[in-house]
Amino acid sequence: MSEKLILALPSKGRLMEQCATALARAGLSVAKSGSARGYRGEIGELPDVEVNFVSSSEIAHFLHQGTAHLGITGEDLVRETIPDCEARVGFLKRCGFGQADVVVAVPICWIDVGGMADLEEAAQIYRRVHGRPIRVATKYMNLTRRFFAQRGVAGYRIVPSLGATEGAPAADLAEVIVDITTTGATLRANGLKVLSDGVILKSQANLIASKLAPWSDGAQRAKAALLARLASWEWAPSAPPQSKR
Amino acid sequence: MIAESAQRFQALEAQAQRLMATFTRAGYEHVAPSIIQPATMFLDVVGESLRARTYVFTDPDGDELCLRPDLTVPTCRLHLARHPEGAVPARYCYNGSAFRYQQGGDTSAHPREFRQAGIESFAAADRERADAEVVALIVEAVRDAGIGSFQLRFGDLGLFRALLGALSLPERWRRRLQHQFWRPEAFRAELNRLTSAEALRAPAAMAEVIDRLDPHEPAAALSEVEAYLERANLTPLGTRTLPEITERLLAAAADARETPLSAATANAIESYVAVKAPARAAVRELNQLLRGHRIDLSGPLRAFQRRLDDLDDAGVITDDAEFSAEFGRNLEYYTGFVFEILVPELGPKSPLAGGGRYDSLLAEVGAPAAVPAVGSCIHTERLLAVLQGTAA
Repeated sequence: MSEKLILALPSKGRLMEQCATALARAGLSVAKSGSARGYRGEIGELPDVEVNFVSSSEIAHFLHQGTAHLGITGEDLVRETIPDCEARVGFLKRCGFGQADVVVAVPICWIDVGGMADLEEAAQIYRRVHGRPIRVATKYMNLTRRFFAQRGVAGYRIVPSLGATEGAPAADLAEVIVDITTTGATLRANGLKVLSDGVILKSQANLIASKLAPWSDGAQRAKAALLARLASWEWAPSAPPQSKR
Repeated sequence: MIAESAQRFQALEAQAQRLMATFTRAGYEHVAPSIIQPATMFLDVVGESLRARTYVFTDPDGDELCLRPDLTVPTCRLHLARHPEGAVPARYCYNGSAFRYQQGGDTSAHPREFRQAGIESFAAADRERADAEVVALIVEAVRDAGIGSFQLRFGDLGLFRALLGALSLPERWRRRLQHQFWRPEAFRAELNRLTSAEALRAPAAMAEVIDRLDPHEPAAALSEVEAYLERANLTPLGTRTLPEITERLLAAAADARETPLSAATANAIESYVAVKAPARAAVRELNQLLRGHRIDLSGPLRAFQRRLDDLDDAGVITDDAEFSAEFGRNLEYYTGFVFEILVPELGPKSPLAGGGRYDSLLAEVGAPAAVPAVGSCIHTERLLAVLQGTAA
């Protein structure tokens, strides 16, 4: 493996645009190398950095496997995808974009359910009445299981949902959903409300370091150079400002 | 673990043969349920937390299947396939692999693929006798295998249920406390709520509806809630029904009017949960404790005593067995007596064997009504490690 630092950046969508803008504001020009359709890139100001453009969820896998040193992607995806993630990655900086809350939402007409404790009781009654556990539609299976276990909610089943999760209750595919929301408008438009203690994670895009990547001296130096350029970005709470490496 | 040596494999097989010989000699039929199980039914029963540790996959027909995470549910299914009515006395034993994802990776202390050797006893009319029989046979098997000294630990969720039944409190409070029992924090919070008039008053968000509901008029409450939803322009959504919503609101309305639990009653419940003593001393302790609170639990305590006597008759020495009222909290499908066998080599967190009574599982798996059931299994890799002196 080369001495270069591999930085994984989102390859499409809003997150890609926001990433490019934020890096440009920090004086870094990211350019695709080779053909315009290629998935490799470079940063003019940082010759020791090699950019890999991949999908946001793939970035989490890259960090997990150590095939990228650094990556910018949503905290939600990283916490969902990487088991025991604190041991495998470090959250370095918050990017200030890509904000989204991962929340537990139920139909607004459930006037008896305001919080997670109510949900647990409603789930018990549901099982008795319907002969099956209450269903939770989500693409965040691991975050959901962890959060529900912490809050003592046990009697439920996850229904994996790959898109349009907010429509699951109306389509009778699930009773409850766990999904991301920014303003809650989409949830409300679908007749859903967020539980009072149902915010699982306040997520945003983060600059994240893989602890499993091969950290050569060159990669360490490139990381320090990149962080120096991103000095105005807020440190992630789990990563106190670091002294020079 | 990447692989095991043929030697180790042979040792486990030889050990399993001895265990199964002990079980079959006692009249348990050797069965071998399928390793691949239908995921949906299996996971509905064991819950989402075990699902996270179950290897689930989809076959080309689109059916969701799993590698069995234990052998108890498969044995229940096997029994029901033979006897759909369920309540037919039967005793089974098995030795086979079970599979669970291990958070810390696949290690020899916590392998993702492990063998369970166990027994299950269904539809035995005398529950205490059946409990004692299962413990005695597991103890015999462990002793035959070469374990000289071990500790027995008992718990009894049925005693807790009986305690709640003997106290004067609304049935819905009993159900809640029983349901929360296995989560100490939620349990304590619920107990605190029930003793506080203020906390029992309806949460502000629901007050507007709840104030209109009369706990003694459920039918009127249903139309009251329906009218409220209409006025608030809330359209029904999904499969959860209006009666379910009303049931919870009625419970809140009833709570708001209820006299809080007396400090003495809450105290009795907390003292019970704290009991931890050698089994026979625990019975005396409980008798004394309950007499102080004027609670009559003599029937269930006699049953507990009888189980101990049966164990003694079967040659299991119960003098050093510990009773802990809390034990059984983290094992959700158990409904009554629970036990485990501990050895110093493995420590208190990795029992050599464990089991208990699960009277509602067969009904959940498809029996038309509840069927008494008790069972236990031995962790065969742990047993071998202790016998070979390689336990961590």
